[in-house]
Amino acid sequence: MSGVLLQNIVKAYGAAQVVHGINLTVQEKEFVVLVGPSGCGKSTTLRMIAGLEEITEGQLSIYGKVVNRIAPKDRDVAMVFQNYALYPHLNVADNMAFGLRIRKMPKPEIKQQIKNVAEILELTDYLERRPADLSGGQRQRVAMGRAIVRHPKVFLFDEPLSNLDAKLRTQMRAEIRRLHNRLGVTSIYVTHDQVEAMTLADRIVVMNDGRIEQVGTPMELFMNPANIFVAGFLGSPPMNQMPGTVTEKGVEIDGIIIAVSGNLSAQVGRKVIVGIRPEHVSLQKEKGTTALPINLDLVEPLGSEALLHAQFGAHQLVFKTETQGSIDHLSDVSEVYVHASMVKLFDAETGEALPL
Amino acid sequence: MSNNDTVYINQKSFKEKLVWLLDHFKREWQIYVMLAPMIIWFLVFLYKPMYGLQIAFKDYSIFRGIEASPWVGLEHFNDLFSNSQFLRAIKNTFLISFYSLIFGFPVPILLALMFNEIINAVFKRSAQTIVYLPHFISTVIIAGIVITAFSPSAGIVNTVLSWFGLDSVYFLTKAEWFRPIFIGSGIWQEAGFSSIIFLAAIAGVNPSLYESAVVDGASRWQMMWKITLPSILPTIIIMLIIRIGNLMEVGFELIILLYQPATYETADVINTYIYRQGLQSGQYDLAAAAGFFNAVVAFVLVMAANSISKRFSRTSLW
Repeated sequence: MSGVLLQNIVKAYGAAQVVHGINLTVQEKEFVVLVGPSGCGKSTTLRMIAGLEEITEGQLSIYGKVVNRIAPKDRDVAMVFQNYALYPHLNVADNMAFGLRIRKMPKPEIKQQIKNVAEILELTDYLERRPADLSGGQRQRVAMGRAIVRHPKVFLFDEPLSNLDAKLRTQMRAEIRRLHNRLGVTSIYVTHDQVEAMTLADRIVVMNDGRIEQVGTPMELFMNPANIFVAGFLGSPPMNQMPGTVTEKGVEIDGIIIAVSGNLSAQVGRKVIVGIRPEHVSLQKEKGTTALPINLDLVEPLGSEALLHAQFGAHQLVFKTETQGSIDHLSDVSEVYVHASMVKLFDAETGEALPL
Repeated sequence: MSNNDTVYINQKSFKEKLVWLLDHFKREWQIYVMLAPMIIWFLVFLYKPMYGLQIAFKDYSIFRGIEASPWVGLEHFNDLFSNSQFLRAIKNTFLISFYSLIFGFPVPILLALMFNEIINAVFKRSAQTIVYLPHFISTVIIAGIVITAFSPSAGIVNTVLSWFGLDSVYFLTKAEWFRPIFIGSGIWQEAGFSSIIFLAAIAGVNPSLYESAVVDGASRWQMMWKITLPSILPTIIIMLIIRIGNLMEVGFELIILLYQPATYETADVINTYIYRQGLQSGQYDLAAAAGFFNAVVAFVLVMAANSISKRFSRTSLW
């Protein structure tokens, strides 16, 4: 049985449609991340699943039950909000107990639930504190605790880490994933941060302009983006993109032919966008690689890796390479090598990936 | 360390402080220019008159002036506290203030909570405009409306009573009716406008608290009690402190316009007493003593309210 099933879900505010008939199946116990730029409809989709927004058209099912007309409280979902949504006048224990008290759970049971969850989230010492007396990470844990105590069928996370600093975000990201592994509850997580999406998800749903661009595992999306948008959105730095033309020997960019894997005979003459990920080049010539002559204009050391900013013909490209403890040897790089299997082609007009 | 050293350090730090202060004024002078009108207003209308407070302890004569009038110690206070009219005024001030607080203070909060629950925007705006309007009517007109409404001949109240076969009552001449009429008209005039501050506080409540509560299954009633009300509690407490501080300041213009000797028994408050003694009978020194007493009590009240609030609710004015 699917955990959450979205069938042709549409959301419109008056005449303005913001979600255009999306279809998605989230499997039971799966961790799915909705990712996309601001305004792409990911939060609206999550809020429709929670019941905080009405569904204009389409059908939403949670564990086999159609919930379009069912109140949020009866959907058996719990939501973690971006700004934590903790009640400032209640202490940690009361915040976590709020939903249980509303549901009239017996007091001893509430106490036991809070004790268990506080132990899982290492909040036992903070139960008497008010949110104002907690750090950002602790508040986030309380917000998660409030969701966990209810034992819902589905967890919904609305950009829960975006208010935290970079270090804490990395730490909390790992905690959320560990928690999911431990509890095994179906989870839908919204973020605009592609690193969060890549690290947390069983499957990623990339959204843009109210539509789903691609659904797949993080590595599927990284290695085989379905279109230019996904290619540009996932990966840091994003995939290098250059216009080219398909020839019998490969793809031609500014007079240089780059070898491409697969059979291109049916595509000869086609205008394409050539995509090469910054990580997918090497500084040594190997079998099956094509040399790209470059004019290096900047080396940015990142520690174990460095970014090479270079001019290739009329195109400004970025490559990522290992430093091996020094960047001295990078300053005189004049060629990089790309393997045929790492060159991706997208139709110049539609932006869709070409089947190779 | 010798005494001289201590003096030297203190002087130096004072100089440093002075330099810092001058630097600060130089940097932030625009802010002080903006503050100036308020500071001047305070100095001219509240601090300078304090000099005249000394007449509460003098046998003041306008011909001799403040300086030349002889000191009489606490004589005026003795006179005041042995005067049954003043004691009655104290009692009335407290009772009217207390009842206003008990019955009048919760009304704007209830109004704000009710406005917040109205979903239809047009109805909400209309209802708000209707309850805000009386605030903008002059006190004289309010008094006129009250006098007309409670008139024994053509007043709407007596007309309604006559429908039920009851006799007309000349309410404004009955001492027992003065307080309900005064407090009721005060609520009618100010409750709507006072609700604005609570509505503003409600508008500041994080909307995701409600969304979270909706997902948790809270009803609108539960959200009002468990989220809205506790969230605006700091504002309620601040307003309560201010209100307690003003407990001695009964709206005496309306009392002067509504009361008459027949209702002095329940209507005469400290401020109306001061007005009659000071301006009508020319006993400025006695009126100043009454005013001084009023101010001291108000000061004690506001200090006490603030420290109680600080201790029990973590919210305070300072």
